[in-house]
Amino acid sequence: MSDLDRQIEQLKRCEPLKESEVKTLCLKAMEILVEESNVQRVDAPVTICGDIHGQFYDMKELFRVGGDCPQTNYLFLGDFVDRGFYSVETFLLLLALKVRYPDRITLIRGNHESRQITQVYGFYDECLRKYGSVNVWRYCTDIFDYLSLSALIDNRIFSVHGGLSPSITSIDQIRTIDRKQEVPHDGAMCDLLWSDPEDIEGWNLSPRGAGFLFGGNVVTTFNHANKIELICRAHQLVMEGYKWMFNNQVVTVWSAPNYCYRCGNVAAILELDEHLNKKFTVFEAAPQDARGAPSKKPAPDYFL
Amino acid sequence: MAMKAAATSSPGAVQATNDDASASKLSCVKKGYILDDFVHFFVKRPIKRAPLINRGYYARWAAIRKLLLQFLDSVGPKQILSLGAGFDTTYFQLEEEGRGEVKYVELDFLEVTSRKATIIASREQLQKKVESLGTISPERGEIHSKHYMLLPVDLRDINSLEKAFECAQLDISVPTFILSECVLIYLDPDVSRAVVNWAAQKFNTAVFVVYEQYSPEDAFGQQMIKNLESRGCPLLGIHDTPSLEAKRERFTKNGWPRAVALNMDEIYRSEIDPIDRRRIERLEIFDEFEEWHMMQEHYCLAYGIKDATQGMFDNFGFGVR
Repeated sequence: MSDLDRQIEQLKRCEPLKESEVKTLCLKAMEILVEESNVQRVDAPVTICGDIHGQFYDMKELFRVGGDCPQTNYLFLGDFVDRGFYSVETFLLLLALKVRYPDRITLIRGNHESRQITQVYGFYDECLRKYGSVNVWRYCTDIFDYLSLSALIDNRIFSVHGGLSPSITSIDQIRTIDRKQEVPHDGAMCDLLWSDPEDIEGWNLSPRGAGFLFGGNVVTTFNHANKIELICRAHQLVMEGYKWMFNNQVVTVWSAPNYCYRCGNVAAILELDEHLNKKFTVFEAAPQDARGAPSKKPAPDYFL
Repeated sequence: MAMKAAATSSPGAVQATNDDASASKLSCVKKGYILDDFVHFFVKRPIKRAPLINRGYYARWAAIRKLLLQFLDSVGPKQILSLGAGFDTTYFQLEEEGRGEVKYVELDFLEVTSRKATIIASREQLQKKVESLGTISPERGEIHSKHYMLLPVDLRDINSLEKAFECAQLDISVPTFILSECVLIYLDPDVSRAVVNWAAQKFNTAVFVVYEQYSPEDAFGQQMIKNLESRGCPLLGIHDTPSLEAKRERFTKNGWPRAVALNMDEIYRSEIDPIDRRRIERLEIFDEFEEWHMMQEHYCLAYGIKDATQGMFDNFGFGVR
């Protein structure tokens, strides 16, 4: 068994790697990711997954219902880290799978794959707590800069974490972005990771303070101009796990069940067969007895 | 409705919600959401909360403070009675702001008032705010001073409330602001109704403000019930007052002629000073909108009004500019 296979087995048990192993893994991952396009080409069949947010045991549930990698070809739409209790193990497992099976798993960047956001939403603190230093956080956030920004499945389905940008009308414009940097506060790269579809005409400011809200007419124009049938994105919690908008021109996929151990929602993955037929598989949070030691039971915050 | 009988409420777990709330308030203070010079004395282990929690505590603080300041701005003598006060520091902050000329009575379990009295006795900055004509007794969990009274009660026992009323020398005819934040919801519904009823009998002119959870039926509500149950502090009252209407009726059917109840999402949008809201919205990156609305839609602020003066509370409350 190779070191990498052993590390994957270890991570599947939700045991983090040593700091030196993380460093080596990240270096290998960087060599692979640097070759990927900003619009990474993906061939169907593929299974598309939305936000995970460090909910490791729920991601294991996802693999249980969706099948293991590499038997199943996966596309993850970002937001691997923050909020949940196991961002380290979650991201490292996905990254190890990427290094081991680079053609069977595609990881694109979410707005939480950022130095700034992870310092607010938990990944930074988790690394510090688990390793006693922020080195692992540095290795991982350096890798974030190399993650692709979007994927195009069989030239028909455009996949991105957030949504569209007013500065981008053609998919080719995305290819010209220099992505190897921290997520900027505005501009095309920021918008792709932050924007949301909304029932409006045209564009509007986003309450998130980054990205934009875009309406159905924007999507119709974009899809037509780029000869695509669908935009598949994540980024927003939807209680039923997935949500169609604008006459099936946009779909949101959400893959963190009982988000933050608090929301009570179900999650979904979108399975595309070789003809791009769509099947949503809905799943619930992993049962308590599959979540390791009882001492690790999460206690979500409320106003008390 | 068939309810699971398994929900056992542990007094220790319910009291621990007080420490959790204090830690969250301190997190808000440190980030600049709210101004409170005293809450840090009551928190052993400061923690950094997520922006959603900070914003939610801010919303609660700002909404209650709006009502409280409306009340304090009216003329004449006034009383404040805080039921299940925990480590709330409002008295100290009002005193600091020069608004302390009001009788302020706090009631809670002996375990809580005793810890509170101990902390107040051990900190000069707190002590000097209660020392005028005052005595502090940590063992008995009591503080008696000119403006501030801290007394132990068990809200489940109306007799102990009655005794505290006498002991604090509350005046039935003085306008009174009664406050109960996340307290009644942990009590058996019969008990919380009895408390609301008791208060209506004891004060001629008063407003009774309640902040607590509701809406138990949807997926978020069910998960909230499960999570708090597993912490040992089940929301015993939530099925009895599942809606805003039910929160209002708890007042109107128990001696309070008028009642208002709004969910916190609406209060945040329409009742909090828009300038201050914009200020706090810039304090932290905020990326939890779907969850934020859901959470706020499961908390409400409700108040009952009783007005023997025929007029004092005419312009009181939300929707009043």
